[in-house]
Amino acid sequence: MILLDSVTKIYPGDHKPALDSVSLHIEPNEFVFLVGKSGAGKSTLMKMITKEEIPDSGKIIIGGIDLDYVKKRHIPGYRRRLGVVFQDFKLLPRRTVYENVAFALEIAGMSGKEIRKTVPKVLELVDLSDQAKKFPRQLSGGQQQRVSIARSVARQPKILIADEPTANLDKLTTEEIIQLLKKINDFGTTILVTTHNEGIVNTLQKRVVTMKDGKIVADQKNGGIYKLDETPQPKLPKHLIQTPGHALKNKPKRIIQ
Amino acid sequence: MAETKVKKAKELKDEEPKNLKKVAKSGLKTMRKTRKHHPLREEGRIIKYGASGFTRNFWLSSAATAVMSITLIILFATVVASVILTNTAEMMRDKIDITIYFKPVTSRETLDELTEIISSDSNTKSVVTSDSKEEYEKFLAENAGSDEIINVLDDEMKELMISKMQATMRIKVYNVDNLDSIKDLVETNEVFQKYLDDEKQPTYDVNQAEIATITSWARIARTGGIILAVVFLVISILIIFSTIRMAIFSRREEIYMMKLVGADRRFIRGPFLVEAELCGVLAGLIAATTSYFGFMWLAPRLSNYGINVDEIVGILQSNKLIIMFLIFIGIGIIIGRVSSRLAVSKYLHKA
Repeated sequence: MILLDSVTKIYPGDHKPALDSVSLHIEPNEFVFLVGKSGAGKSTLMKMITKEEIPDSGKIIIGGIDLDYVKKRHIPGYRRRLGVVFQDFKLLPRRTVYENVAFALEIAGMSGKEIRKTVPKVLELVDLSDQAKKFPRQLSGGQQQRVSIARSVARQPKILIADEPTANLDKLTTEEIIQLLKKINDFGTTILVTTHNEGIVNTLQKRVVTMKDGKIVADQKNGGIYKLDETPQPKLPKHLIQTPGHALKNKPKRIIQ
Repeated sequence: MAETKVKKAKELKDEEPKNLKKVAKSGLKTMRKTRKHHPLREEGRIIKYGASGFTRNFWLSSAATAVMSITLIILFATVVASVILTNTAEMMRDKIDITIYFKPVTSRETLDELTEIISSDSNTKSVVTSDSKEEYEKFLAENAGSDEIINVLDDEMKELMISKMQATMRIKVYNVDNLDSIKDLVETNEVFQKYLDDEKQPTYDVNQAEIATITSWARIARTGGIILAVVFLVISILIIFSTIRMAIFSRREEIYMMKLVGADRRFIRGPFLVEAELCGVLAGLIAATTSYFGFMWLAPRLSNYGINVDEIVGILQSNKLIIMFLIFIGIGIIIGRVSSRLAVSKYLHKA
């Protein structure tokens, strides 16, 4: 579902690469934590996936789409296929909770009737039905993050990426957000979450990919964090290259029925 | 074992470009298929968001509308000033004439002959002549209310006055800047030389300085009006551009977010354009109304100073008033659209 092959990125003016020949493969329906300290390259990797940044070398294939072939004019269309959750929520401040969620559907060209049907269901999923008319500034951090999640899943993407979604939240709210992401993953959505909170990583016992200095230094299937010299670089599985469409064929269940 | 790994790696390398192209093509096809494109629906949403942005950003919208209104009023004032100054100059030029005095004995027939000669000059617009009797009649008409003068005018006095009063010729010209040809004609023509009065000289030399002054004022009014209009227009566009840019700068994060969730350029830019256009429509209405009532209040006062406001008043009192309102609104929309498009484009290129 997410495939990075020897991806390298050096920002202009930097001597050290932000990403140094990173290879990563995430299967459909996986829940993956991407962990590492600040500056490890997690956010750069996320920006590569959303095509905010372009790699200097290497290949990125997301949901069957080779990002090399996604031209500038295709970027909005490509981004509409992803669910993205941000650390600072990135909600539209002048629009209500309902409008923020509806916006994601409107830009996808969904009809008003479909939107009126879908948005209440998504808000119910994130337990915000009673906050629909409020503006983001009237909500707590946890509620704002739930709106952000609702917006990202409203279009029922196959992939949801979350960049430090709990960084600005307290322990209890963090737990709620992670449980919500797990719930979405249970519906069949592939989820990639970056974090430097080891506590939530270890309690969920999901796959954990560790980054350090722009490299993947550990990749463990059942939680926990490896140390640099114990973990080899993951190899790119051949079957994925040979059957590129399979990620698209494995359709997840609908989050909203 | 190691050989197999190397072989597999080679295969992978060989197959990669071909298969990845397939991936890209199938993926992009699916991506395009999922996009539902409904231009009318999109347009409706853009207008809806533009209108809601206009009301939710009330203070910024008001500031932009105010600046636009002032711009339009300045534009109107500049155009009107240019028109009324030109009209006034024209009116004054029209009042200017050359007066030539002939001997009292000059008959009506001679005057007609002289009229024919002077009319042959291409600069001559119109000629009015009056012989001594007619000049006397004019004198009577001018002093009809003065009994003291009328009472002393017996037959003897009348004969004396007619014998002393010069016949006159008043010439209006097309171009007051070039009177040389008429002057030459008067000075060289034999008939003119024969009948020209010895005491009273033609007045074109006396009026030359006044004519030059009025002409230069008219020129200054026209050129100055155009320069002022252009300068104010540029200044106003810069002010509006800065106001809208400030409004958009405060919402750059919003633009960035929209881009990240997959909104395309049209959808991001559209509401900002609609918002600025709404400011333009409102500013057009405010400026047109203010200008209309302002000018109608000022017109009689200007008229008292001899300024010609007839043309503008005529326009404002006719059906053309609607056209004036539409022009105001149209300029408002254009200014809003151009400024906001320039301002948004800066933030659209990021992310």
